[in-house]
Amino acid sequence: MSDQLEKSKSVFLERLLFNFRPIWLVIFALITVVLAWNASQVRPEASFTKMIPTNHEFIQNYFDHRNDLAGMGNVIRIAVETTEGNIFTADFQQTLRDVTDEVFFIPGVDRSGLRSIWTPNVRWSEVTEEGFVGGPVIPDTWDASDESLEQLRTNVLRSGELGNLVASNFKSALIFVPLNEINPDTGEALDYQDFSQKLETLIRDKYESDTVKIHITGFAKVIGDLIEGAEQVSLFFLLAIVITLLMLFWYSRCWRSAFAVLSCSIIAVVWQLGIIELIGSGINPYSMLVPFLVFAIGVSHGVQIINAIANNCVDGHDKLKASRLAFRGLYIAGLTALVSDAIGFTTLMVIDIAVIQELAIAASIGVAVVILTNLGLLPILMSYIGVSATGTKYTAQARAESHPVLAWFSHFSRPKWAYSALFLALIGLTWGLVYSQQMKIGDLDAGAPELRPDSRYNLDNEFIVDNYSSSTDIFVVMAETAPSQCIAYDNLELMDRFSWHMQNTPGVQDVKSVVYVAKMGSFGLNEGNLKWFSLNRNQYVLNANTSRTPSGLINPDCSMAPIIIYLNDHKAETLKTVVASVREFNSNYQEDGLKLLMAAGNSGIEAATNMVIEDAQYKMLLWVYGVVIVLVFIAFRSIPTVICIVLPLALTTVMSQGLMAVLGIGVKVATLPVIALGVGIGVDYGIYIYTKIKEALEQGMSLDDSYKYALENTGKAVGFTGLTLAIGVATWIFSPIKFQADMGILLTFMFLWNMLGALILIPALARLFVKAGGKKLM
Amino acid sequence: MIKATAYAGTLLALSLASIPATAQVQDYEVITAPAMIAPEATSAVLTEITLAGDRQIAVGDYGLVISRDSADVEWQQALVDTSVFLTAVDFADDLKGWAVGHHGVIMHTSDGGRTWQRQLDGFQYIELQQLYFAAQVERLTEALDNDELSEDERYELELELETAEFQLENAEFAVQEGPTKPFLDVLVLSEQVILVSGAYGSLLRSIDGGVTWNLLDAAVENPDNFHLNALEGGEEFTFLAGEAGQLFRSNDQGTSWETLESPYYGSYFGLHIDAKDRLWVFGLRGNIFVSDDQGNSFRQIKLEDPVNINAAADAPNGGVYLVGNAGALAWVNAAGEIIETRHGSGAALTDLVINNDQSLTLVGQLGVLTLPAFAQ
Repeated sequence: MSDQLEKSKSVFLERLLFNFRPIWLVIFALITVVLAWNASQVRPEASFTKMIPTNHEFIQNYFDHRNDLAGMGNVIRIAVETTEGNIFTADFQQTLRDVTDEVFFIPGVDRSGLRSIWTPNVRWSEVTEEGFVGGPVIPDTWDASDESLEQLRTNVLRSGELGNLVASNFKSALIFVPLNEINPDTGEALDYQDFSQKLETLIRDKYESDTVKIHITGFAKVIGDLIEGAEQVSLFFLLAIVITLLMLFWYSRCWRSAFAVLSCSIIAVVWQLGIIELIGSGINPYSMLVPFLVFAIGVSHGVQIINAIANNCVDGHDKLKASRLAFRGLYIAGLTALVSDAIGFTTLMVIDIAVIQELAIAASIGVAVVILTNLGLLPILMSYIGVSATGTKYTAQARAESHPVLAWFSHFSRPKWAYSALFLALIGLTWGLVYSQQMKIGDLDAGAPELRPDSRYNLDNEFIVDNYSSSTDIFVVMAETAPSQCIAYDNLELMDRFSWHMQNTPGVQDVKSVVYVAKMGSFGLNEGNLKWFSLNRNQYVLNANTSRTPSGLINPDCSMAPIIIYLNDHKAETLKTVVASVREFNSNYQEDGLKLLMAAGNSGIEAATNMVIEDAQYKMLLWVYGVVIVLVFIAFRSIPTVICIVLPLALTTVMSQGLMAVLGIGVKVATLPVIALGVGIGVDYGIYIYTKIKEALEQGMSLDDSYKYALENTGKAVGFTGLTLAIGVATWIFSPIKFQADMGILLTFMFLWNMLGALILIPALARLFVKAGGKKLM
Repeated sequence: MIKATAYAGTLLALSLASIPATAQVQDYEVITAPAMIAPEATSAVLTEITLAGDRQIAVGDYGLVISRDSADVEWQQALVDTSVFLTAVDFADDLKGWAVGHHGVIMHTSDGGRTWQRQLDGFQYIELQQLYFAAQVERLTEALDNDELSEDERYELELELETAEFQLENAEFAVQEGPTKPFLDVLVLSEQVILVSGAYGSLLRSIDGGVTWNLLDAAVENPDNFHLNALEGGEEFTFLAGEAGQLFRSNDQGTSWETLESPYYGSYFGLHIDAKDRLWVFGLRGNIFVSDDQGNSFRQIKLEDPVNINAAADAPNGGVYLVGNAGALAWVNAAGEIIETRHGSGAALTDLVINNDQSLTLVGQLGVLTLPAFAQ
């Protein structure tokens, strides 16, 4: 090999690079400084709109009414729990009062909507002969005495707040905290992270004690926890760097080369982060995976370079010559592999969800940057510092003896081993196919699926769901009418029918809307006689019955009323049933002037996301495999070769789908890109190995010898690449964010399994074709 | 896939709810829309429960009628030709029964409550009102034409005329607005004679099993048009109770009504005649009154829990059970002692029947509820 290389002429790119080494170093240094400054400005963000398919009909409908729905759902619930006795003690009530006051002053809180038994808007009422009587739940004469506490208990029972603001077991009380998305005083958007931190320091840290426990849930808290969790990921990055450094040293036995590869890969990450900050694309908890990938890809290609340089040094070349030759020998293979990675990533652009597209862009930029840093900068650096004597010696030694692991893999081109391997692969494929049928779309866990089931947030959520009568899975249908017609009789009557239709849909827990307010109003205004729990055709009566409608249930010009459907869970099946049920109703009933539009609420948006993902799932597989097949065919011009390389990848894809089903990981925004990433990078192994097999076959070697040759030349590098990639993403398994952990598990599996597939199944499949007759493999 | 499911769903809905084949209901009308077949029927708001022979039959929101042969079998939903909120139900025998509701709807069954047809709807009721009050105005105008009337008589008639004219105006206005008056109770005296009472002084009777309905509003002395909330039939008298302490008695199956001296000025929501032929009347704020002499005199039973009392039933071991809002339950035993409790749900309870094993089936705000045995 190197003899051939030596004879070949230096190419243009090589001259461009090596004839101006100092200038390049200065340019690289300058760019790195500029981009490092930019990269330091990168802040993780968790923009809600980027995680959803903004062009989907449901989301468009939601955006049309976004301002009217703003207050709804964006609520924090704080449960103050006592661990001894019940809430009717002077101490507990003082704490509850303090917490309520404290929350009142946190910026972002919609103070008029704040509710707890200590806010004056929470009242009890009773029907008497003279009409309604009532008062605040906290008696006017409150003095924390036993009489006051007894009066409070009576008022709570009369207030109808049992299960809402007071738990049925009297061991906790709730503070209901609606938020202003935009601060009405300053016009600034709510800073979720800051708000979430204030809740921790001002409420939880301050008031939690041996006898008082604080539980906090709500969208703002999820986002806060998400960003906080995402920041922990930078620690994983350090961990990945340390492990990789050790592995690089173990591989090369040369600290100099190990540091050079590491530095170039880190520079690649810095550039990638700097560039996305420059183009304003930002980094989100999903695209946070990209720096890990870029780092790992950088290292794996860097290894090829220092491997070649060390070999050239063993052959007696000086460090400059060794570097030049390494570049000359590797730049085509490297470019091909990286370009195929990049194209694999761009197939993700077909998914109409911004975070996935940002991930695709970030990954493509990252790969492009790796071309510059690890194929360009690294050889230049190495031409100055060179491989240490120990490293060269180790390489010479390693070349002389066959590695036992490689020797074991070389068996797989022999018929017996090949057929056994193929048989096992077939079993694996069957397993994968069977289980992948059970693969679910969407999030499967209760609570906030972004976070782990045992996270603080989800435990708090469980507490509130168990003790209070509010589901957190909300699907909102928007009833759209002409202005001032939202409580017109005809519209309300159909909305009532719709509510009843939805109430009878499996998975629906409860349905609430202005219709319910109207019926309750009629019940209340008619002396609490339940026989009046109905709508009246008289518009004046309806207006009176709806006069106490909470602001969120009709918009200011009365042209839209949200119908809030509380669900048992947010499983994809449930959401599908609900969507189908709404469509069924809409096809059966059409009232002039009333449109029942899907969908808002966390479950409505998730339903739309699921639809897009379900659709994209196959589209994306089609694209990514289409691209890989075309690329491989262009490279090798042989259909059997395409089969040898692509089938092992397909096996991995199917098995990882089976794995998802078994581990209860749904196909969602986070896991959808994983398959494209896995296939895109996985094909590299196949290309490296098959190139060498082909080279040997062309020289007239037998398949067994050809495979041995391939293993000796690239087997070690492929194995090392698989391991570094896997380690890069495996640290994610420990992320506090559930979907990052899911991504980590799946990518680790895919990177390792693709490597094994390439090392075992490519020779085995090749054996099949040789048996079937002939030289078609070339 | 989604399309196919939605299509299948449509077919299913069509067959279940027997929506006309065109399926495009341009203007949804709650009076004529058949009740939706609903798996959640037993958790909807239910207003009354009664017995047709051994069969339990309950009615409520969305035109729901559910029935079962005994407390240990599943509820069956009836096919009902309306979706209005039903407020009351009563049976003549095992088979023939009537239910009434909002929007002036009267429903009839002749198969023990399995299928129900409309006998009257609010639009027809408005026509009846127009005819009835026009005739009243005519009759009273003619009566006033009499020069021999005393001052008092003239004053009385003028008042009546004013009321009749006001009601006629309302009826004419209602032609545009649609029916707004709910019926609130039904009393089946025989398979021919049925009485219906309702909001704003509505009172109707049929003496031909519901084929024709006649208004009796003017037979009750109710110049303020208070709601007539409850009807109950005893051996000798028929009773009628309503808003603001209204209490009446009839000895001719409702043709004429005598105003009783009411022991209370608040609203009554229910009437009950117990096994000892005592009359119970109850309403707002835990007020219960019992009469041993067909309503001539009353003694008060005051519950500690000041909530609405809606219904009563004879207790199997003597005395009477009463239910009310906020889950209120009371047992006034044979000795006259009061035992009070609350149903854990806290839901408004509107009616009850006693099962064979002496447990209670309750209906109300949360649908069907049960109470294994009354708390002693």
